[in-house]
Amino acid sequence: MVNLDNLKKEANRILKEEKVKYIIGYKKSSNGLFTVPAFIKNPEEVEKLTWDPTCVYNLTRFLVDEKRKKAKEKEPDERPVGLIVKGCDSRALVVLLQEKFINRDDVYILGVSCEETGVLDEKKLAKTLKGKKVKNIEFGKNDNFVVTTKDGKTEIPAKEILAERCLECNANFPVISDILFGEKVKRKSDNPFESLEKFESLSKEERWTFWKEQLDKCIRCYACRSVCPMCYCDECVADTINFAVIAETTAEEKAQKIKWVEKSPVTSENFVYHLVRAIHLAGRCIDCGECERACPLDIPLRLLNKKLEKEAKELFGYEAGFDADVPSLVSSFKDEDPEDFIR
Amino acid sequence: MEKILTKKSFPLWVKELVSYKIYAPQKNGDLWNFETIKKPESINLDFPNTVLPPKNIIFPQREVLLEFESSNENKLQVKETLPDDDPTIIFGVRPCDAKALTLTDKVFSGDFKDPYYWKRRNSTVLIGLACNIPPSPNCFCLSVGGSPHSKEGLDILMTDLGDKYFVESLSEKGSTLINLAKPLFQQPKAADKKAVEKTQAEAEKKITRQIKDIKKIPSILKNMFDSPLWDEESLSCLRCGICTYLCPTCHCFDINDEVASSSPVKGKRVRTWDTCQFPDFTMHSSGHNPRPDRASRLRQRIFHKFQYFVERYQNYLCTGCGRCISKCPVGIDIIEVLDKVRDYGS
Repeated sequence: MVNLDNLKKEANRILKEEKVKYIIGYKKSSNGLFTVPAFIKNPEEVEKLTWDPTCVYNLTRFLVDEKRKKAKEKEPDERPVGLIVKGCDSRALVVLLQEKFINRDDVYILGVSCEETGVLDEKKLAKTLKGKKVKNIEFGKNDNFVVTTKDGKTEIPAKEILAERCLECNANFPVISDILFGEKVKRKSDNPFESLEKFESLSKEERWTFWKEQLDKCIRCYACRSVCPMCYCDECVADTINFAVIAETTAEEKAQKIKWVEKSPVTSENFVYHLVRAIHLAGRCIDCGECERACPLDIPLRLLNKKLEKEAKELFGYEAGFDADVPSLVSSFKDEDPEDFIR
Repeated sequence: MEKILTKKSFPLWVKELVSYKIYAPQKNGDLWNFETIKKPESINLDFPNTVLPPKNIIFPQREVLLEFESSNENKLQVKETLPDDDPTIIFGVRPCDAKALTLTDKVFSGDFKDPYYWKRRNSTVLIGLACNIPPSPNCFCLSVGGSPHSKEGLDILMTDLGDKYFVESLSEKGSTLINLAKPLFQQPKAADKKAVEKTQAEAEKKITRQIKDIKKIPSILKNMFDSPLWDEESLSCLRCGICTYLCPTCHCFDINDEVASSSPVKGKRVRTWDTCQFPDFTMHSSGHNPRPDRASRLRQRIFHKFQYFVERYQNYLCTGCGRCISKCPVGIDIIEVLDKVRDYGS
């Protein structure tokens, strides 16, 4: 089990010794059950840090903001940022390191292991409790969660309320860290692609009907893109404006910006947006499930990414987020790579 | 006009209204949203809050403004494409969402009356449902001049009294709908009116969230443009559009030409929702962005709702539906932000 006191002690130490600029972690929300991201600058604030089954956020995403902010500073603080990562978040970090988006020195990694459990699915929890307000929720001992409501404490089996991605997790512990809290043990997952299989059994026509219905719901709020640690491009095909424009960009260059996706939330444009995003995440997505969690309209976006994760594994034996020193899937070539797509 | 309608008679009333296009909250998966209904029996008014407010029925996310095409003589033909004004009814409008339409009405009026907005608005009858239980734990309508049984903006307000509805007509449009099925409605008894009063008083007590001293906020904000608070409060903001797209009062839009062919020129001019939370909202073609970061974008959302709009229209641009709080993927809470604004001022 992660010892929160030890985590706080380390956080306190690195802030006191001025080893890090600040720490990105989790804190209790002043309203509601789920934690919120915390940005801790002073040792006095360390007390706010928490670790419980509602720590759903992939905090690695905030390194993208940090990098952008730092790039604008004239005399940037070169110290690393302290970052609390779960297993999935650590794999996102590995991909960012592998792609050289960040340097290893930019981050001091405080790893927390989910061990044999994981984080909650807020919607599943609400359903299981039929809207009853939860006062507190803790990791239990026998693959369950201890939930406190106004009627007292109850134990709920983990399988009923764990996030789908945690049930299918490849590594419930951080694969990279400067200091690790908890053990490097993992939950027994029977089948990492379980949720995908039902979908794969559908016919082509059924899949089209399914995705059309799902993607027609999209309001293009771009929460899926915004919450994703891999969506760090300065220039995105989904934007009507090119953010890479600077004062020196010529009018001609600007005019050449192609509008790949219209802003209209119609079937064709929604499909282009979501499929481009899915393809860009192939061999990169580490299944933190944040896109699906953030979606206000419950579009099952994880399915798209999971499918590509499976293809990468089956065709190229590649799994994202485990080794920052190997070349990334799309930038590497092996003699034995399948080439049956060449006809 | 005040009437009683039994729940049994409710679908019969809806049957009498089939000449209208009817929207009502419908469940899809775990979510409720306003959709057109095919069968009168399919209306279920026992719903929590819809994810999207009914805003998009009046002010759709995508509106074709005009179509253009160059003719043989190379002359550009432009055809305005105003929406149909089919008579429409929306059932189950929450009082906060109805009030929100009275606010967007102000924006789309003024010197230029937006014909697209008003064509739909004028042809739509809003039938509200009083909230006996707050539909969201983050409801705070009482703080922003609303209430769970507010009549503002509605044509009819229905209050659930167990096996019947107390139906109050608030406009001519509303009375017309009731008169279409007169025999179904009964005169309320004194006990019914008492029951409504009791339900309303209880409903107000069930709203737990509030913005304290909200009246002070607009003037405090005036001195807070350069406050470090915006940096602190926006640290976790992802720059997505959830808070504004799900907001019943947010109304910003973009206009683009969707070109189907460039030679000969053919296409559509389309208005789509836009949001101050997207970095490209204020991006200049030079590459300069006057609102370059999360802090300035969060500040804009708060200022527009609780300062600029108040100055211009003497109303908060917020009706307390709580959607932005419930659906923010990182838990940014507008009430908490305003609490800090107020503390900053004192």
